[in-house]
Amino acid sequence: MSPVHPHNPTASHKPPAGVLPLVAACLLALLAPAAARAQPAPGGGPAAKPWDAVLIASFNIQVFGESKMAKPQVVEVLARVVRNFDIVAIQEVRAKSDDIIPAFVRAVNADGSRYRHVIGPREGRTVSKEQYAFIYDTDRIEVDASSIGVVPDPQGRLHRPPMHARFRTRITPAEMAFTFWLVDIHTDPDEVPQELEALTGVFQAMQAARPDEDDVILLGDLNAGPPEFKSFGRIPGVAWAVAGTTTNTRRSKTYDNLVFARPATNEYLGGWGVLDLQSTFGLPLDRALEVSDHNPVWGAFYPAEVRSQPGAIAGGASPARR
Amino acid sequence: MGEEETTDAEKSVVKNVARLTAATADERADAAELLCRAGTAAAVAAVPLVKACGDDDDGVREWVVAALEELGPPPKTDVPALDTLAGESNPLVAYWAITLLGRSGPDAAAAAKVLAGCLESADPAVAQRAAWALGRIGPGASVGRGPLERAAAAADPRLARLAAEALAAIGP
Repeated sequence: MSPVHPHNPTASHKPPAGVLPLVAACLLALLAPAAARAQPAPGGGPAAKPWDAVLIASFNIQVFGESKMAKPQVVEVLARVVRNFDIVAIQEVRAKSDDIIPAFVRAVNADGSRYRHVIGPREGRTVSKEQYAFIYDTDRIEVDASSIGVVPDPQGRLHRPPMHARFRTRITPAEMAFTFWLVDIHTDPDEVPQELEALTGVFQAMQAARPDEDDVILLGDLNAGPPEFKSFGRIPGVAWAVAGTTTNTRRSKTYDNLVFARPATNEYLGGWGVLDLQSTFGLPLDRALEVSDHNPVWGAFYPAEVRSQPGAIAGGASPARR
Repeated sequence: MGEEETTDAEKSVVKNVARLTAATADERADAAELLCRAGTAAAVAAVPLVKACGDDDDGVREWVVAALEELGPPPKTDVPALDTLAGESNPLVAYWAITLLGRSGPDAAAAAKVLAGCLESADPAVAQRAAWALGRIGPGASVGRGPLERAAAAADPRLARLAAEALAAIGP
């Protein structure tokens, strides 16, 4: 079964026009089989993943802790979700134990997959704290361990300051690989406008964090859809994957997204989706809510760096929404 | 949703509110999880959920907090009870009582005096949330003007900022 909202299902995932060196294009053509559609496989794994796209996802797994991990049917669904993607940014790890994510990754890898994880510190202003995590397919993605950290927030503008890490794709030669920052966020639902304004500064700070890295993908549960972004939506060149559809399990709100900037992140292929838990796994609403009150959202990115050139226009895929 | 289904949802909320004080932590946690999954339909359970923030069990508290995050504003009739809970010594109970009062906006004006007292809380999150809530109440929180002016000069940058914003919302 496909996700409910597979956008650009027939778009060929060719690199943005005019910017891929001819030599690299020939190399990729020699190395690769025919391109598969860059969409999640229907819940099974390890699915054959496309050579010409990496799928980056965000998933708020509501209260991901001991009680959820104690439900094998829930863990199985979560594992099948993760196997669809090359990286999943997770929000709402809420556990006293430090073994929740390691145990979950073992479940993901039970089919022979080779995922690993990065997890952040416990954050929050009260005794109820959350952790961010990234789970990534080591066959296709590697992390720069020195890049892992939490965005400083000395003015206390963010309830749970985002975790950042820099990744590189492994399915292209290293010198061509797409490298990028991921910034994982879960805003406070009671202070969304204020936190989005703070995230404007966060995004721009991450853009300037390294002179050799222009790709920033901020993703997570923003508790807001694009019409509510205000200053966050006016960052120069900013674009986002998800628009015009809902992202929560009840199909009533647009809370989750992947946000990046053009022309820096011309690697974005225009393919995106919301993996609807109910329709993908044939679950009634109450069983889907047992997994999470959010659906995962994802975007497809070209696995090689795309150098933006003056006047170059990304082609071959729908433009990112803004 | 048909009338019968609505009644079943309401019955479920009532049943799970009762289970929040069950003898075993597993049953209390299960009740909290089911209330969390009810989303805004559990708004009638606002006061019991805030009280359950004082549960000894971590698992119960995590689901209670998650339920409160999804609850939306409480019924107006809950303001007096939340006013009382805002003064609780347990910081998590006070924090969430204050949060729900803030979500009530001007309807929580009667709680402004207690909220002004919370600005002096030893728990930074409680004090900050009280400033935020007073701002959400707006002009009806004028009784908090003096304490907010002191809070606006606090060393805590978040408290100072929220207090200044609340003063602006209350007006002259």
